[in-house]
Order: sequence, then C-alpha cells, then structure tokens
Amino acid sequence: MQGTAKRTVPLRGLGLSLLAVAGAGVAVALWPEALLQEQLLASVLALVPAFLLAYYRGWARVSVLLGIGMATLTVLRLLAIFVGEPFGTFPLVLILVAPYVAIALGAGWFGEVRRSAAHLRSTQLQLIQSEKLESMGRLAAGVAHEVKNPLMTILTAVKVLAKRVPDADPAGRQLVQDIIEAVGRADTIVGGLLSYSRQQELSPAPVDLNATLERSLVLVKHDLDQRRIAIVKELDASLPRLDLDEIKIQQVFIDLITNALHAMGERGTLTLRTLRARPIPAGRRRASGAPAGGSVVVEIDDTGPGIPEPLLRKVFDPFFTTKPTGVGTGLGLSVSRQIVEMHGGTIGIANRETGGARVTLGFGVARREQEYAETAGAAG
Amino acid sequence: MRKRRVLLVDDEVSLTRSLALYLEECGGCEVRAENVGSRAVAAARAFDPDVIVLDIVMPDADGGAIAAELAADPKLGQTPVVFLTALVSQRETGGATQRIGGRPFLAKPLDPDVVLAAVEKYARR
Repeated sequence: MQGTAKRTVPLRGLGLSLLAVAGAGVAVALWPEALLQEQLLASVLALVPAFLLAYYRGWARVSVLLGIGMATLTVLRLLAIFVGEPFGTFPLVLILVAPYVAIALGAGWFGEVRRSAAHLRSTQLQLIQSEKLESMGRLAAGVAHEVKNPLMTILTAVKVLAKRVPDADPAGRQLVQDIIEAVGRADTIVGGLLSYSRQQELSPAPVDLNATLERSLVLVKHDLDQRRIAIVKELDASLPRLDLDEIKIQQVFIDLITNALHAMGERGTLTLRTLRARPIPAGRRRASGAPAGGSVVVEIDDTGPGIPEPLLRKVFDPFFTTKPTGVGTGLGLSVSRQIVEMHGGTIGIANRETGGARVTLGFGVARREQEYAETAGAAG
Repeated sequence: MRKRRVLLVDDEVSLTRSLALYLEECGGCEVRAENVGSRAVAAARAFDPDVIVLDIVMPDADGGAIAAELAADPKLGQTPVVFLTALVSQRETGGATQRIGGRPFLAKPLDPDVVLAAVEKYARR
C-alpha cells in the first residue's frame, strides 16, 4: 500500500505535465497569429486548466507548484512589458515545457519529503508505542501476580463447594461451572499479561523460518481440525537462516495463525508465504534503515472479513480485540509486535484487495548476518 | 493407614483454608496451613509433613530461602517441596514438569486437583 502511495505523486505530476503540454500545444496552435508573440501569456493561460484540475482534485502540492509556475511566468511577462525582455526571447516549447518538468521533478521531491515525514512519524509512533509497552509490561507483571492469588482462592473454594452441590441441583451445578469458566478466562488474560511483561530477553540462534512456520502449524492443529480451512503454503526454499529467538517467533506465528483462523470462522483459506526481498546492489541509494542484504518477508493471508479501516491502526494496541468476550485477550498482536521489533523486524497488517487480511512480517538479512559475523569475529 | 501429611505455606489465608479443605475432603490428607513464611520451617519441624506446598513470594519470606533452609535441616532435608507461584503462567510451567532447584513448581491459579495430584506424586511414602 505504501509503495503505491509513494509512486502516486510523481506519476500524477508527470501525467499532468503531459496533459497540460498537449493542452498548451492545442491552445497555441489555435492562438490568433497576432498573439503568437505573447508567448509568455500563452503559456500562463495554458497552465490554467492544469491548475484548476489539480486544485479541484485536491492535489495541493501540484496546484501550489502550478501556481508558482504561473506567477513566475506572469512576472516575466510584466518584466518584459516594463523593463524589456530580460532573457531575450525564449523558444515557445521551452517556456511551455520547463514549468512541467519542474513540476514533475518537484512532485518527485515532494514524494521524498513525504516519505521522510512518514518515516519520522512512524518512528515517533514506534517510540510512543515502545514506552507505552514498557510501562504496560511493568504494570502487567504486578497486576498478574496480585490477581493470581485471589483467582486460585476462588477456584479452590468453588471446587470445594462443587462437591457439596448435589447432582439433583442442576442450577447450582451450572453456577459452579460458570464460576470455574470465569476464573479460566481471567487466568488466560493474566497469563497473557505475564507473557507480555516478559519479552525483554532474546535467545537468538540461526533459524529456518519455513521450518518454524511448519512447526507452528502443527501446534495449532487442534484449532485447524475443528474447521474446514484450506492451507496454502508458498514457502521459498532458498531463505537464508536468520538469527532469531525461535520460541518467541513461533509464539508470534501461532498467535497470527490463530487470529487468522478466528477471523475466518468455519471455512476459508489460510496462506502462508515466505519470500526473500532482493538485496540492494552495493553503491545504490537505499531508504534509511533498509537492510543492504534485503529482507525475508513472511505473509499470512486469511479469507476472513478483513479489518475495518478505522480499526487498522489500533490492532497492535494492548487490550484491543475484535473477538467476543472470553475469546481473545487483546494482547496477542501487541505481544507479537513487541517480539518482532525486539528482533529488529517489522510487522504490518492490511486488508487484501481480494478480501481478508494480510499480516506481513519483515526481517532484515544483512544486518543480522553482519551482526553474526561480528560476534563470531569478536569471539574468535 | 496413615494419612498423607501436607504442610501448606502461603500468605493467602483464604487460599490455604479452601485448599486445605479440598485436600482433606477429596484427597484424604491431613493438612496444616502456615500463613507466615518465616514460621514455615518451625511449622514443618512440628508437623513433620510428607510434602510441603510452598509459595515462593511471601511478604516476610522468600520461598526459595525457606526451601534451602528445609534442605539443610537434618530432619526435614528429605521432605519433598512443591513450589506454588503466581510469578509464572500455566503455559510456562508445562504442568508440573518444570523444576526450580530440582523441585517441581506449579503456577497459580490452578485446579486443586492438580495440587492433589502433585501431593500424591511427590509425597514421601
């Protein structure tokens, strides 16, 4: 999605340029002979439709650039009237084309600025998220400990009471069962809180992500067997081994797969995909933070209903869940994100055009390999 | 036949009360509860339990330190200890298969049946 947005502005600028140049050519061809001398005026007028188009389409930056172009040409024309031709006579084509070339370049430049701003915004959000998670973690550990004791008291007491409720009292037995289930639910949340607070340490070792995905599938077999879910595996056999904490990454995969299964309900298709993004050739400019050796990408697609757009930004927040009460703790994605980011990786979620949601994980290759080599070098 | 003697050490009075009741009624055990951690060793010496269920985090004493003191005691050194803790989740303990210092530990909250099973498994015969 982001890649599409990045390309949009320059393409629009270029398309607009071509459209307006064509318009200007037509305008000049139809221009009265006497006015052909008014090349500057003609080019200003030729910019008007492009400006209006950009303005009404809401392309703010393009319309600003066109406005600047028109203003510049107007100033040149005024200078020509009151001071004389300051730069001699411009070839008509040059006058017409130059502003659009500038616009196209400017639009590209704006694209860069926008990407940098987006990167900055994303980093800020990550920082806020990270601080939020850290304080949440401390709180969670304390709460978990304090809640578990009374939970066990309730569970034990109700088990004692259960022995005293006669079989002939089904309502009483149901109440007892309800209490036991409620304790179970509370314990699930508390267990999640404890996991959440304990994501501080990694035990990295070279990991085959394809094998980890396969193992994760085995561990959710029980959940899978209860549904009619088709599994599609598109695993790139040439993936390099990555230096990861396999247990934690497996936890992430299990949570993501479980989410996908819950989203699909009784039937659907779960697609697990791994691929290696191409390394960037040496000497080529690359985006800040992009690993020089490319990255390994894991995609988990489901065919569920997808996630409503307004909720997409919230899905990684602690305790956010769209699942019914008692089904999810709202910590799964939050913990997953924490684990992935601890590995220097990225995680994102988006709706697929063909329906359903896609979670995309990215792990840099070069950085990890480099770190591994450096560690080995230091040890040797 | 002599009943299994279980010493429960936990600062939660309501928990030891209900757990004691459960172990007595459903497991036929003889149970004594001690809610002050620092008195655990003295209680064990007096009661001579077949197994001690010991909370790890208590306000006035550390379960690990109590276990070490019990292990060093000539009379109680062989008495099995099962730790009970709210510091980890059920998933992390893997039932009762995980161990701290060679002793099994159980994660709160758990079904009293699991405590009973642990008592039956580890109690000195």
